[in-house]
Amino acid sequence: MSNSDHDHDHDHDHDHAHKPMVDEITDFEVLEIALRELCIEKGLFTAQEHRVFTEYAEQIGPTPAARLVAKAWLDPEFKKLALTDAIKACKEVGVDWLHPTGFGAPSDFMAFKILEDTPTLHHVIVCALCSCYPRPILGNSPEWYRTPNYRRRIVRWPRQVLSEFGLELPGGVEVRVEDSNQKHRFMVMPLRPAGTEGWTEDQLAEILTRDCLIGVALPKPGVTNNVTPLVREAVRPVTA
Amino acid sequence: MSTAAERAEQLALVSRLKTVYPEVPEWPTPDEISHSHWLAYMKTPHDVGGELDYPHPYENKEEEQWELMTYVLCEVLAWRGIWVTEERRRIGNVDVGRSIYLGLPYYARWLWSVGRLLIEKKHIDWAELTDRLVEVKNRYPGPLNGRRPEAEPKFAGDGKSVRRNQFHIKAVGLGDPPVFAGTADPAKFKLGDRIRVRDLPAMFYTRTPEYVRGAEGIIAEVAYESPAPEDETWDREDAKSEWFYIVRFRQSDLWDNYTGPNNDTLQTELPERWLEAVNV
Repeated sequence: MSNSDHDHDHDHDHDHAHKPMVDEITDFEVLEIALRELCIEKGLFTAQEHRVFTEYAEQIGPTPAARLVAKAWLDPEFKKLALTDAIKACKEVGVDWLHPTGFGAPSDFMAFKILEDTPTLHHVIVCALCSCYPRPILGNSPEWYRTPNYRRRIVRWPRQVLSEFGLELPGGVEVRVEDSNQKHRFMVMPLRPAGTEGWTEDQLAEILTRDCLIGVALPKPGVTNNVTPLVREAVRPVTA
Repeated sequence: MSTAAERAEQLALVSRLKTVYPEVPEWPTPDEISHSHWLAYMKTPHDVGGELDYPHPYENKEEEQWELMTYVLCEVLAWRGIWVTEERRRIGNVDVGRSIYLGLPYYARWLWSVGRLLIEKKHIDWAELTDRLVEVKNRYPGPLNGRRPEAEPKFAGDGKSVRRNQFHIKAVGLGDPPVFAGTADPAKFKLGDRIRVRDLPAMFYTRTPEYVRGAEGIIAEVAYESPAPEDETWDREDAKSEWFYIVRFRQSDLWDNYTGPNNDTLQTELPERWLEAVNV
């Protein structure tokens, strides 16, 4: 690593009170490296296979999910496909659930459903047992989604938790919590909001934030960010 | 090398880590443990739905390089037939015990599960792991000053004598659960059937949350065939498949004093062994 990188990191430390001042190798890094080296030496997998999966993991994100819902809002035939064969619909936005192993990303399985909101039904997803999430099409789950706090409370006090995200739903709307704790993965298809008449797929995709597709927010013209702006910084973040 | 004073300080830290109920002493005698306490100790620590908690701020988090590498490590081990996801979910979310479950970062448990897996399945022994931990640590004495720790395997093994599961070959081109299609007996329940979740004294591993046990609901979808997690988690490739169902519950049936509207619902997915018919 060059000196300029070092200076950059150093400045960073002063900017963010949140960031822990750890510069020695951490116990987590030691363990990860030791295990990976032993796996390769024992032939459990090859360095090449590890690289292939890393490249796959680095490119997943919420973009294809937003595109899929925007497309469904515009095209009734595609919407029908999305609601009956979501895995097939994903291919049209460039996501093949069998990638990159030929049988999928192992922890994400091969059973995906899109939950359609209606004027009287609102869905929100959780995995109360771990962090099951439609990773191939929506990327990695946010930290809060994995916490015991969200998992403990959303199943029992969904309206209170949604209100903490700024989402108040009227009594006439049924709130349905989808606890995805086995092999199915779920994503919410929210209602297309008023004020988006004549919009293009690109415009619609922009307001379909990750939080809307989890069900803790509703799409709204002019809102293109997730609800919470809080980000805890990493000590040694993923290198792009 | 630690000094006597450093050892005493670490022991004082460990002594503050509480792992038992405050109302029952450590090492209780059998008469001090009630049935409810027994169930609480037997409960798998990953099953947190409905536990009491207060609002916390919701935060995002930038990913550490080792966290991404840990995720990749776990997934590549599954890709190459060393384990299936259900084994990982037990080792990293349940076998860790409550202290580690609640006390360490999310991906630290994924990592812990890999070490445990490799030793239990005899891919490495204790000394190989321990020696390597010392060696890696010694490669990076003092501050890193912007250096990034890297894996440096000494050679690449041919992997010819490694024991791998059949699943990672059979599932290619199909995925999981489609690979199990057609392997279960006919489904006992159909769409709209009223069922009750059995209240079983589940030990060691299950994915049926405690909060639905004993509750009545309706079949919202006959989902797919697969071995139950209670079998799949122990690397039992001979386990018989069964049908899984998405079950819909009324929130007011699940929770005492549910304060939302009467039509609020919750759905979750359960294997057939946990369900019994309700005659209406």
